[in-house]
Amino acid sequence: MVMASLREVCGGGFAEAASGLEAIEQLALGPAALMVLDLNMPDMHGLEVLRFVRNHPAFKRLPVIVLTTRGDDASRAAALDAGATMYLTKPFAPHALAGHVRALIGNSAAERA
Amino acid sequence: MSGESPFAGFMDEYFAECDEHLATIRRLLLELEPVAAAGGAAPQDSIEELFRSFHSIKGISGMVELREAEMLAHHLESYLRVLRGRESRLTAAGHDALVAGVAALERTIAARRDGHAPPSIDTIVGSLEAVTSSIAPAPAVPDTASPPGVWRVTFAPSAELLARGINVDTVRARLRQAGRIVSAAPKIHGGSVAFEFLVAGDLDDATVAAWRADGIETEAVATEPAPAVSDSETPAGEGVARLAPSHVVRVDLTRLDELMRIIGDLVISRARLDAALAQVESRVPPVEWRPVQEHSQTIERQLRDLREGLMRVRLVPVGEIFRRMPFVVRDLARDTGKQVHLEMRGQDTEIDKFLIERMMDPVLHLVRNAVSHGLEEPADRVAAGKPAEGRLTLAAASVGDMVVIEVADDGRGIDAAAVVTRARAMGIPIPDGAVDPATMLDLICAPGFSTRDETDRASGRGVGMAVVKTTIEELNGHLALQTSPGEGTRFVIELPLTLSITDALIAHVGDRTFAVPQGNVREVVEIDPASVRVIERHELAPFRGATLPILRLSRLFGIAERPRRALHVFVVGAGTEAVGVAVDRVSGQREIVVRSMADALVKASGIAGATDLGDGRAVLILNLPDLARHARTTLARAGEVGSH
Repeated sequence: MVMASLREVCGGGFAEAASGLEAIEQLALGPAALMVLDLNMPDMHGLEVLRFVRNHPAFKRLPVIVLTTRGDDASRAAALDAGATMYLTKPFAPHALAGHVRALIGNSAAERA
Repeated sequence: MSGESPFAGFMDEYFAECDEHLATIRRLLLELEPVAAAGGAAPQDSIEELFRSFHSIKGISGMVELREAEMLAHHLESYLRVLRGRESRLTAAGHDALVAGVAALERTIAARRDGHAPPSIDTIVGSLEAVTSSIAPAPAVPDTASPPGVWRVTFAPSAELLARGINVDTVRARLRQAGRIVSAAPKIHGGSVAFEFLVAGDLDDATVAAWRADGIETEAVATEPAPAVSDSETPAGEGVARLAPSHVVRVDLTRLDELMRIIGDLVISRARLDAALAQVESRVPPVEWRPVQEHSQTIERQLRDLREGLMRVRLVPVGEIFRRMPFVVRDLARDTGKQVHLEMRGQDTEIDKFLIERMMDPVLHLVRNAVSHGLEEPADRVAAGKPAEGRLTLAAASVGDMVVIEVADDGRGIDAAAVVTRARAMGIPIPDGAVDPATMLDLICAPGFSTRDETDRASGRGVGMAVVKTTIEELNGHLALQTSPGEGTRFVIELPLTLSITDALIAHVGDRTFAVPQGNVREVVEIDPASVRVIERHELAPFRGATLPILRLSRLFGIAERPRRALHVFVVGAGTEAVGVAVDRVSGQREIVVRSMADALVKASGIAGATDLGDGRAVLILNLPDLARHARTTLARAGEVGSH
């Protein structure tokens, strides 16, 4: 569902990573306008990925949307502390994610301009 | 992530695995002891198993860079290697060196766990080298068991590699085939990203070269020279790869505590639901009411199953404590020149993990006391008409909701006169006449009490028994003493099976409500107030052909009394120890969540904790055995004063 809505927003311009390490690899290899990060991944926890990304000068300002099934305040605070731009709790409507993605890509494009 | 030890997450696993290997090692060394004493040929399978255990500890210690443990394990392993596969004799000196080496290994690992500097291992290593070189190594047996190396593997991804299908996930899959991945983390490497893996396993040069062509750099991190790859008799990666059998999950105890807390909250919520349902019952037609009530009862039953299931998860065999004792007893017997036969029973009795960890030191202390103070010298025993070998019994059993642990010896018994003299010298007032066991126990558990002028090494300091008793009482347990001169001493520890949730009877006194853990109550009886007689301001009621001292909670807590047709009495203890605790009314049985009152300011003897019955009010949980003991003591004093 998440993938489908992203495909709809980005067309073909999005890549999928099966693990936290792969996500970092893809960021390192190709320019990305935005990352949608699930917290539950097989190897690294999403928050670790996020912290790593925020530590890297090239990705400091990359918009990151964190997806999680845990909607409690502590998880939200932890994600925002680690540098999440936005925090979405599953389940959410596909068009909601699509809307946020569009808005954030627009913002960072405007910032770059 | 950066700057942290790459082993941080692995250390718990390391300690747990070391514990397992050390447990195996202790068992095997004990089995080998008679063989060593006779200077016989050691059974090869035991030697082999010992060897493997040391080998594993060496491997994982190397991985976490605990060099002292690795070194010790290496020397222990070396000695076993020369014993292995040959007609070598295991000598008593050799066995002693192994035992000393294992003790040092335990201390080294414990020091790391507690964050201390490791102890010096030079002497031990020296003695291990001595016993090893006393047997010429068989030249035909090469060193086939060099430990698997640990490798730092760095992968720098690139678009070119990605085009060839080489990315971090495929690299990871390759590493996984070659060994075991200890850690994997991304690194910022001069502006670009690289991945660093720690891999345990045997890598050969060809593999390393092939990897290099694919952007994978490999370097050994183990201090030992890169292990020679040969027809290793241990399967690849053995000793480090085998972290746990796949059907066993190690869980941090705090996670189980958290689960227990959540279940506790559930129990309280259900009690609230029950109370709310009771309020609307009269307004709901019975036909509609019945299913509601049935569902509520089903939930209660399921909640109980859930609670019991979790409790079972936390239970571990008491054998965890007992397993160390043969070594302690053996060493003590050797140091004191006594002969001790240790008998252990009921090792399979299960008890809460938290309790067992807290009970280790108290039981150890009682065992040490029994050997160094309880049991006599062989000559004295023979003179007293006993066998020269003293008997020490360590037994465990479950009794209802309690676990009973006994430490008993057939030694000289506690010298009551010496205890009384010493107590008086400390300024503790003791009436003349015979001292009952409970009083004697209180005396020897008094802080600073020791019948010996000099505290010896074996029994530790005088604080020992005091700590034993407080620990047991903190766990809502009870310590009892039986001793008779010339025949021996028996300490009986009673502990609740688990701490947090228990069945309780709900009692009322005036407008106050109390909870009484059901396990403490022998029976609940009604007594006619007219049959109660008052002697020396104490009430006694006839009960089953004897008299039962009555303790009224109303008087104890200063609650106004109203005359009642019958006294409801909880009978606590049996025989002459029995005491009746009287309340106004008993309203039923409930499952309660025990919240302990650890704060010294609110802790009071006779109160086991507090609970919430679902209406949001805190209700005190009474510790009846404590109250009963208090009642008996005052009664005994009154009796003594009266008889003088």
